[in-house]
Amino acid sequence: MAGSETRDRLTADVYDIPRRRAFVELGDDDLARLAALRPLAEAHIDRLVDDFYELLLGQPDTRRFFPDAHVIERVKRSQRAYFLGLFDGKVDEAYVDDRLRVGAVHERIGLAPKWYLGAYRRQLRLLLDLLFSGVPDPVEARAAFASLQKLVFFDMTLAIDAYIVARDDALERHQTALRELSTPVIRVHHGVLLLPLVGTVDSLRAEQVMDTVLVRIVEEQARVLILDIAGVPVVDTRVAEHLLQTTQAVRLLGCEAILTGISAHVARTLVQLGVEIATMPTRARLAEGIELALAIVGKRIAPAGAGAGSAAEHAGPDGAGRA
Amino acid sequence: MRPVEVGHRGGERAPRSTRLLGRHELPIACEADIVLVRRKARSLAQAYGFDAFATAAITTAASELARNCWVHGGGGAAVVEELYDGTRHGLAMEFRDTGPGIGDVEWALAGGHSTTRSLGLGLSGSRRLVDEFALETARGEGTTVRIVKWKRF
Ligand SMILES: Nc1ncnc2c1ncn2[C@@H]1O[C@H](COP(=O)(O)OP(=O)(O)OP(=O)(O)O)[C@@H](O)[C@H]1O
Ligand SMILES: [Mg+2]
Repeated sequence: MAGSETRDRLTADVYDIPRRRAFVELGDDDLARLAALRPLAEAHIDRLVDDFYELLLGQPDTRRFFPDAHVIERVKRSQRAYFLGLFDGKVDEAYVDDRLRVGAVHERIGLAPKWYLGAYRRQLRLLLDLLFSGVPDPVEARAAFASLQKLVFFDMTLAIDAYIVARDDALERHQTALRELSTPVIRVHHGVLLLPLVGTVDSLRAEQVMDTVLVRIVEEQARVLILDIAGVPVVDTRVAEHLLQTTQAVRLLGCEAILTGISAHVARTLVQLGVEIATMPTRARLAEGIELALAIVGKRIAPAGAGAGSAAEHAGPDGAGRA
Repeated sequence: MRPVEVGHRGGERAPRSTRLLGRHELPIACEADIVLVRRKARSLAQAYGFDAFATAAITTAASELARNCWVHGGGGAAVVEELYDGTRHGLAMEFRDTGPGIGDVEWALAGGHSTTRSLGLGLSGSRRLVDEFALETARGEGTTVRIVKWKRF
């Protein structure tokens, strides 16, 4: 999952490998030093991985991420690859991708950064033991550990960035969903659509609303659009402009716009603001707007039992009524 | 900054002894902040028992001026003050930015003019919606607009 999608979203910054490396002072000599220790790592890898999972499985906060033996087997394999990767002696884009994937996966399964970072402490401890027991010269061992530390911190910065990007992605998806949810275009009758505007009309939502509405008008071959603003708390020039622009665009598609849901104080506020919306038919209440809309498409609401007895609407002769 | 004072409506200037009951400073650093500013205006107006129209008026003016502060002034802050002049409650709101300033105040206040191809009614309209309106601006230094709405009986 993280491969292309997350990668696309990550800024060029993440792939600015030289800059990141420079900050943690990770040089080619560090990588070479680690590569020389690969045989040592390979010789002890199983014990390393087992020790590490002893911690993760022993703590309730992390235990729950490993429900069965099958999962444990799989994560142990990737941990093994991770440990050995530290001794590969190279840091390229594939390496970065891999670290980013780790962060993204952790975010997705809900493993919080505090546990991820906390677990790293144990990894470092195990690697420290490995180097000091496996490298005879203490000066050499120290240098090796310093190199390893740089690489590990390089990894952590990437994983944290991946966490953040994955979280941003999730938030953005929710917001998109919400925005779509908050633009319900309702089909009132054949040729009549209703758009109840609710809440704040910010620039993004204004665009979204416009797009959704225009597409629906074409789809439904609507002839009338009712814009109901009863749910908009503040009708300022921004909202007024949005209404006027929507009306204009809607008219280009051969559709009439009717404005409803204007309260007395909103009407007065609009007059004082100097906003001119008299160009579009307006009705105080939605019900009146619907009557007007039906009249425009040549229908009307009649009392039950009248004529053929259909409860709702009758075809009226050529748009009879009060348009 | 050379102040450009713009007159008040209806001689409703507060008497000398206006008391400050509360003060709130809100940043205007993104579009969403505009909503927070006008919500503050609305909730205070309602708390002081302003009628529906006065509440809509101060809330709408707050929305316009906060948006101008953000769109034209590049952001700044809003300061909301709860006032009492001995007989009635009022709300003052001051919008400050350190943007380009308004080059031609008369032009901007005439209504129908905009440098962003918008309706150009925010500034002039807000002025009509409130009891006191004072604008200070200087080119290259910024703009401050202060409005007051008093509660009617
Ligand atoms: N804080 C400010 N800083 C700089 N220029 C401003 C500021 N406020 C208003 N202006 C100028 O005054 C003009 C008129 O403002 P006004 O609010 O009336 O209209 P608008 O913001 O352009 O459109 P809208 O009708 O959507 O509010 C603006 O186009 C802008 O050039
Ligand atoms: Mg404006």
